[in-house]
Amino acid sequence: MANNARLIQEITTFLATKSLTPNTTWLTTNLATLKPDIHLQGAKQLIYIRLLNTSLQSTIQITPSSIFPQDILNGNITSRLLKGPIPVQVMDIEDIGKSRWSQLEAIEADERGETTRGQEIVRVVRDEEDAERDQSATQTSSPSSGPHKLLLQDAKGLRVYGFELSTVTGINMNIHIGCKLVLRDVSVARGVILLEPKSVTVAGGKIEELHQTWKAGRKENLKRMANAGSSTQGG
Amino acid sequence: MVVRRILCVAEKNSISKAVAGHLGGQYQTGNIRGTQYVKNYSFDYTFNNSWGPSSVVFTAVSGHIMQQEFPSRFKNWNNTDPWDLFEAPIEKSIDEKNQPIANNIKQHAQRCSILYIWTDCDREGENIGAEIRQIALSANPRIEIKRAHFSNIERTHIIQAANNPLLLDDNQVNAIESRMELDLRTGAAFTRVLTLSLQDMIKAVDPELGIISYGSCQFPTLGFVVNQYLRVKNFVPEPFWSIKITHKKEDEKNKKPDQRPITVNFNWVRGHLFDRMAVVLLFERCLNAKFAKVIKMERKPTSKWRPLPLTTVELQKNGSRFLQMNSSRVMAVAEGLYQKGWISYPRTETDQFDREINCQALCQKQTQSREWGPHAQGLVNGNFRQPRRGTHNDKAHPPIHPVNYVEKSTLSHEEQKVYEFVVRRFLACCSDDAKGEKTTVAIDYGAEIFNATGLIVLHRNYLEVYPYEKWEDSQQLPEYQVGETFIPTEAKMTEGKTSPPHYITEPELITLMDKNGIGTDATMAEHISKIKERNYVESRPATAAGRLAAASDEGDTAPATRGRGGARGRGRGGRGGATASARGATRGVEEFVPTTLGIALIEGYENLNFSTSLSKPFLRKEMELQMKAICDGQRTRNDVVQENIERYRAVYMRTKDQMSVLKAAVNKYIVEPERSNGS
Repeated sequence: MANNARLIQEITTFLATKSLTPNTTWLTTNLATLKPDIHLQGAKQLIYIRLLNTSLQSTIQITPSSIFPQDILNGNITSRLLKGPIPVQVMDIEDIGKSRWSQLEAIEADERGETTRGQEIVRVVRDEEDAERDQSATQTSSPSSGPHKLLLQDAKGLRVYGFELSTVTGINMNIHIGCKLVLRDVSVARGVILLEPKSVTVAGGKIEELHQTWKAGRKENLKRMANAGSSTQGG
Repeated sequence: MVVRRILCVAEKNSISKAVAGHLGGQYQTGNIRGTQYVKNYSFDYTFNNSWGPSSVVFTAVSGHIMQQEFPSRFKNWNNTDPWDLFEAPIEKSIDEKNQPIANNIKQHAQRCSILYIWTDCDREGENIGAEIRQIALSANPRIEIKRAHFSNIERTHIIQAANNPLLLDDNQVNAIESRMELDLRTGAAFTRVLTLSLQDMIKAVDPELGIISYGSCQFPTLGFVVNQYLRVKNFVPEPFWSIKITHKKEDEKNKKPDQRPITVNFNWVRGHLFDRMAVVLLFERCLNAKFAKVIKMERKPTSKWRPLPLTTVELQKNGSRFLQMNSSRVMAVAEGLYQKGWISYPRTETDQFDREINCQALCQKQTQSREWGPHAQGLVNGNFRQPRRGTHNDKAHPPIHPVNYVEKSTLSHEEQKVYEFVVRRFLACCSDDAKGEKTTVAIDYGAEIFNATGLIVLHRNYLEVYPYEKWEDSQQLPEYQVGETFIPTEAKMTEGKTSPPHYITEPELITLMDKNGIGTDATMAEHISKIKERNYVESRPATAAGRLAAASDEGDTAPATRGRGGARGRGRGGRGGATASARGATRGVEEFVPTTLGIALIEGYENLNFSTSLSKPFLRKEMELQMKAICDGQRTRNDVVQENIERYRAVYMRTKDQMSVLKAAVNKYIVEPERSNGS
């Protein structure tokens, strides 16, 4: 056990390279569950993976720079820069480049096993002319190309929307709920975080039960949002 | 000297008459007792092969002569378990109506030493040829069997074909045999089980109901229609937002006195987004930026490609789009033009011309037209380009093309339209691509990118003769320099709404059938007519389709159609049939809406949760691929039939076990529609 302090030191340094600073309680409890004979490299990886797959609220050391500022949601601030690094987790994600209805149709086609057969069962076959005729309706079912809108949560549990200003590798509709991102020198405009490759690192991970709930409710959610959109439409 | 006697048999009378005319010049016409549709044309002809001088009788059949059916003990629906129809014996016999035609063949076969088969050169024609062979052999077992290979009725082509007799292709014959057997068995078994199980329920509300007919192509076709109908019905419109930028700029390059500045419209490369908040933020960033900066100014040559050579599927699709005729009507008219020798065989999958076909000579024939003659002359004088080559070749027929020039005034109104389309399409194929110059200007405005494009058409080329496609100049763009900055004249955030999909139109349905292997290019139009006839779908003019005055356009001939792929092996479709029902139909692009019966059947089958549901294209597509394998000699008829019977049996079991699911769907849509189907 004399080694414990050194182990904590090693792991903390390792996690710092990922811009993640765990709180001591979480780290010590977790180290206690490790097999005594585990070698250092294995311990680092194991702790890292556990951290990615656990809610930030119980893992991260809260300091003023590792969480969102209190007034982040203030809509009057047109532009500000957060230095960070701020670890956040994805609580929700939407592809706002496509209508919800078309996404719902794509999921249903997929459930029927029809999109997996490639070219041969193309249900929406369009000729050039047809495509020109109704460009306003985006009914195609290409893979998620975004941009995406995410609901991000910091270690204190504050939730803020993020918008993918330019394509960030790793952000797509296959991302898991609970996935960790690290934000650094990130712009915030009127309470919305603007995500760009230079300011976002996708660390990975998921929170299993949140992800399952989200996945199970996705169709209902899309349906609800599509209907909400059409009813506020008024005229 | 002994003169060889040769019996020639074509698939329809119009062909025998035309070919007899080409070969014999003068011929004697003989009547056949019991039929008025088919004649015997007798003449002498010297074949340019070992046959030499011969005495020829040229007759015809009228599509299929034989029919397949179950023995009478299986005909009573109430005493026969439909399950037994998967294995019941099948009897092949001469259709009663065709008895006079068969007798005529037998009579002549006895006196002839060679039977020369002139049925159309496709699988169905090969099979009809085998029927003729069987009948001839029954009267004269020693008769020699030959087969003519031709793809149009043009004189030199016919003479060439006549002198080069080949053999019947039994692989093709067998492919059709297996398809007919499967269609008969599955059609009868499913029609009976569906009708017997559901008719009482439906008749309670709809006493008019006939049988609930099943066909292995019709159900997936219906499935496509229902699927799209449900998409339309369930659709929810959603708002979206976009950003539009305009900039007024003097065109300094072409400055003229009192010239107004050009208004350039820039479109957002993101198109539109479905989140208002995001667009508001981006729009604000644009406005904060004040200046837009030109990041790209590009002029480059562009071209619009001339069309590919014409296939049946394309002809049908374009018929709906441009000629105001539905697919079965277009095919009937094209068939007539083929029989008269004006165009090549209209049932083809091939979209590449073989080198042997002299396209330039075919263009030459069209130079006499007042309308497209000058363009054809231009091609002959040096503008000719060898047509593009598509990827399909059915190895039987060339793409559809004009064989001879005909004065339009001698054709019926509908024939004129189809002939003109075929000619213009062909000339377009032989012309150069249209050429133009495209200008693109891209700007960065608050880190968002916007584009403006302009097009100048420089050489219309094929478009000169092909008015069915459009490619027009757009507004010209003024000169911009990369790096140049400007304050946009106007920047605004716009709002729109997704529009619902439309009901499936005929060209779209044909495309789906084609992509999913439902039917062959030759039979698709018939399957579509069938689901209308059976009251599974209704057709109506597509929304916003201009209704053209129905000019008097009765064809002067009523071309015979063949009952291809007909489920119950009714033999030839004969005169009328699909053609007659199509004639009264609406002109213009048609769209299809399923009836309550159509929806109930498809939803019922989908609810059975069977991956090989009858409402899906998979089973039929497999079968169609296996037909090809038989033709290529890779599989045997017996093998394919057995495999498919097993599959359909599995579906049959499921249908029978879960009839309650189908009944629930019938109940939902037909018996108690108002209760469950609010709107």
